[in-house]
Amino acid sequence: MLEFIPGSLRMGGFTDRNFRSILTPQYLRYIWDTIVLSAATTVLTLVASYPLAYALARTRSPARRSLLLILTLAPFFTGAIVRTYAWMLVLGNSFIRWPVKLLFEPAGVLIGLVHFSMPAMILILGAAISHINPAYERAAASLGARPARVFWRVTFPLSMPGMVSGSLVIFAWTFSAFATPELLGGGRVKMIANVVKDLALDSFNWPGSAAFAVVALALTLALLAVVGRALGRTPA
Amino acid sequence: MMGKSVVALEAISKSYGTVRALDGVDLTVYEGELLALLGPSGCGKTSTLNVISGFVDPDHGRVLLDGEDVTHQPVWRRGLGVVFQSYALFPHMTVAENVAFGLRERGVPRREIDGRVAEALKLVRLPAAGSMRPSHLSGGMQQRVALARALVIRPRVLLLDEPLAALDRKLREEMREELREIQRAVGITSVFVTHDQHEALGLSDRIAVMHAGRIEQLGLPREVYEQPASRFVADFIGASSVLEGVAVDARTVTLPGGERIELRWPRALTPDSLVRLLIRPERVELGGSGPNTVSARVANVTFLGDHSEVRLELGGGVRLLATVRGGVVIGPGDRIRVTLPPDAFLESQ
Amino acid sequence: MIARGAALLLLAFLTLPTIVVIAASFNPTAILSFPPDGLSLRWYENALTYPQFRRAAVNTVIVTAASVAVALPIGTAAALALVRYPVPAPGAWNALLLSPLVIPGVAAGLGLLILAARLGLLANRSVLVVAHVVLVLPFVIRSVMVSVANLDPMMERAAASLGARPWRVFWRVTLPLLRPGLFAAVLFAVIVSANEFVVSLFISTRVTEILPVAMFTYVVNYTDPTMAALSTLFIAATFVVVFVADRLLRLATMFQIEDPR
Repeated sequence: MLEFIPGSLRMGGFTDRNFRSILTPQYLRYIWDTIVLSAATTVLTLVASYPLAYALARTRSPARRSLLLILTLAPFFTGAIVRTYAWMLVLGNSFIRWPVKLLFEPAGVLIGLVHFSMPAMILILGAAISHINPAYERAAASLGARPARVFWRVTFPLSMPGMVSGSLVIFAWTFSAFATPELLGGGRVKMIANVVKDLALDSFNWPGSAAFAVVALALTLALLAVVGRALGRTPA
Repeated sequence: MMGKSVVALEAISKSYGTVRALDGVDLTVYEGELLALLGPSGCGKTSTLNVISGFVDPDHGRVLLDGEDVTHQPVWRRGLGVVFQSYALFPHMTVAENVAFGLRERGVPRREIDGRVAEALKLVRLPAAGSMRPSHLSGGMQQRVALARALVIRPRVLLLDEPLAALDRKLREEMREELREIQRAVGITSVFVTHDQHEALGLSDRIAVMHAGRIEQLGLPREVYEQPASRFVADFIGASSVLEGVAVDARTVTLPGGERIELRWPRALTPDSLVRLLIRPERVELGGSGPNTVSARVANVTFLGDHSEVRLELGGGVRLLATVRGGVVIGPGDRIRVTLPPDAFLESQ
Repeated sequence: MIARGAALLLLAFLTLPTIVVIAASFNPTAILSFPPDGLSLRWYENALTYPQFRRAAVNTVIVTAASVAVALPIGTAAALALVRYPVPAPGAWNALLLSPLVIPGVAAGLGLLILAARLGLLANRSVLVVAHVVLVLPFVIRSVMVSVANLDPMMERAAASLGARPWRVFWRVTLPLLRPGLFAAVLFAVIVSANEFVVSLFISTRVTEILPVAMFTYVVNYTDPTMAALSTLFIAATFVVVFVADRLLRLATMFQIEDPR
């Protein structure tokens, strides 16, 4: 899966000039923005996905589960462009007058990213929750705990491994998001991937782009290692 | 029971890492016989079967089929019929297609296939099952289909891996008889693996008792039961009580409780040596008179329908198990007399 | 109760964009308003006749078909190998299998771009196919792996004992029994490949670009609802596919979501 990334091998030989050029505050800012945005997305996605994942895992009727699954998966499969475009329509002021300007702002990008990530999180969490033995919940109930307590003291903690692995996957995924910030950010919100593309396709600064991409890749690989270990350890 | 050797294993050894699954196994299976490989888990019986069938290559030794060295011959050329413990019927094919599988692989013409499949299904008493799917059949029926599939190709040997293990008790006994009948009717040399001694005793012409990768004893069922060749065989087959004592003279042993037991063994005992005796529960006689009649306390009685188990205690706390047909009138705490016939004792190393 | 309400709200959130897009696609004018002043199919007509879209659609079909055809045998072989033969570092393999989801598409795209430029292959669809194969492979492997794991190895032994040579065993027993996994693999592969955007953006030219890339270019440059029409078609097609897939394959099991109890 690892493509041939030329790294800092440039026409002319090895140089770290490109890497040095990245470490300007401008570019570092982009990296920081990306981290913040990814973290925010992950947290919001987690919160938003949990109820749906729970429903998916605990619904008794297979028909309802199928319906939920289809509704969850369909956005997943319609492709980045379509979904992002749809958000452009929603967040722009043509349909609904928003009190706050959302399109081409970080808030809009955040909403788009959360929407993008929810299906995956729902699936991962759903699988994790469905694997929690209902006997534990029944035991808690038999010991006198009301449903809400059962949830907070038994189900929620037991779903922690799923939450962890889901969060790591979403964070890593969002970290290298491209289409959503590109279209919803309107040039004003830039994540690492957008910068790479700008440098490569717009400025034709392949070396600089490559250097930046290497940084992104290195960070992502570090995350991958954590994900791999988390997934290997926990049967999500 | 001599005859043509159909399967011969010579000095077969096989190790998996540090585990020695087979440790020098020699075995000859004769034409037409039904041989059981009996032993506990891990004794090597399934490995032996796998070596014969070719699923496992031995580290050392030779495998011969009809005198031909097939040690390095691949599975699909050996011309054997295998019935797997899980039956392994192909779920995506009908019963008829399952049974026809081997024939198709051999290039048998279509018309002949139909006829032979019908014949095989008739043999296992499932003439109408041809168009059904395996998943719609009960366990017993599935097993018969598996048998038909293996037999229809007219193999030189039939190999069965724990054939009755997945069936419930009643069905198991029925199938045991049916299996026997079919095997005799077809006259096919068969080897089967089991951990159940009753199955082995009831179903086979000869039994090979295996332990830790070796054959401990090979013989007729009665031989194995009544004249176990080793302590392991004596322990494994049938239930026995173990009595330890000290030899007083060439034929007498004193038990811890002071009772004197007379033996009728071919060998003479060395005085003052430690002797371990085994006696099968069905040989212990309640009441009775004659040599070796001792006093015992009834510890427990378990009624099991057609027989009862009586747990007894001799002097010095020595435990003894007796089985008696039907029910008994004695109960825990009673003191009774018990006779241990001198010729009922087996030696145990 | 609260949970049920929250779930419904979130479900609405999930489906809101879809609804908006569909509504927009029927809008009679280029300026969107809600409620729409009427219904019109002109944007659909525009979408279906726009030459670049047409060319891109053809490219998509070619590239997707080619990459699935290549990825399927490779993925099946890999799945069989991974399940059957103990691999030294299963955790690492698991991570590797997930990696295309996580590795920045831009990094991969850039790498391939530079590589392809060096080799002079940029104007060729084969670069796209290679990229798609790599991106699709993990999905293929995962889908097939599920079926392989459920395949009783005794089946293959039984076939061999009945006289079938190894490739006959594969053809008559293994492959038919892997059918559900293979079907799912094709499904996922097609969906992933047809929607693949980021990497393709880097390595396509106007001649070879696939549909998502063409759509992206359009959105960046124009604001009329033609995209909405095209998107709606996309969404409809996807819904149908996912629905059929769920019917045939019980998607819940595939994502390892088990029944309660």
